[in-house]
Amino acid sequence: MALAPAAAGAARRPAHPSTSSAPPARELAVAIDGMRFVPATLAVRPGDRVTWVNKDLVPHTVTARDGRFDSKAIAAGASFTWTASGRGHVDYACLYHPTMVATLTLP
Amino acid sequence: MKALHLATAALAVALAPVLALAAGPDDAQIAAIVVTANQVDIDAGDFAQAHASADDVKAFARQMVTDHTAVNKSAADLAGRLHLTPEDNPTAQSLKKGGDDNVAHLKTLSGAAFDRAYVDHEVAYHEAVLKALDSTLIPSASNADLKALMVKVRPAFVAHLDHAKMLQARLGR
Repeated sequence: MALAPAAAGAARRPAHPSTSSAPPARELAVAIDGMRFVPATLAVRPGDRVTWVNKDLVPHTVTARDGRFDSKAIAAGASFTWTASGRGHVDYACLYHPTMVATLTLP
Repeated sequence: MKALHLATAALAVALAPVLALAAGPDDAQIAAIVVTANQVDIDAGDFAQAHASADDVKAFARQMVTDHTAVNKSAADLAGRLHLTPEDNPTAQSLKKGGDDNVAHLKTLSGAAFDRAYVDHEVAYHEAVLKALDSTLIPSASNADLKALMVKVRPAFVAHLDHAKMLQARLGR
């Protein structure tokens, strides 16, 4: 297998590029059900698409405390998707119902 | 504290007929009680969001209107699907009267006193409605979908109660 000529100072390219690529982005789901986020804690990686589905009869929001996402109103039956980015713990809550809190954990 | 005791006593009286019925209300009566219970909180919320003093009390009042309107829409949709006509009854009437009395009382208040009275009543009200749901309305429902709707809605009332208690603690006594 011919390797592309390396530029001066560049790292050697691997023989099998797939071994160095990041895991594929996942589609993950959080249910908003019974005035709770289920699951309350979810580990995600940058690039994963997280979809919250509102299974309740009343509207909710998903709003990150650090501001990195805010769904605005999610009507009953509607959903909101965020493509994960950044790092660390993301605490979020429903702005309408202050007892509804949950967390996404990024590496 | 006196206002809170009066509110609780009034609600116990309002809901006593449903709690005392040996046979329990039928589905048409349950539907009327549920719709009225939501409407009473919508009416109080409408009034409070316009007249409350603190921003978080106004926000809570707005949320009561939003949420109880949504629940009533689901109840109306279900009643339509089931061809169930809500049947007025003493419990529903008593709830309505209690609600009217509450708003009449709130009209005599302003500022922090208004906020405390509104929130105190919301705590007592949601406690009483949850008790009625658990002891009578849910167990008495014949239609499975009507029962399921009340079970589905119950967590929202619990969340409202918790939120009202948070405000009550913040407003202090």
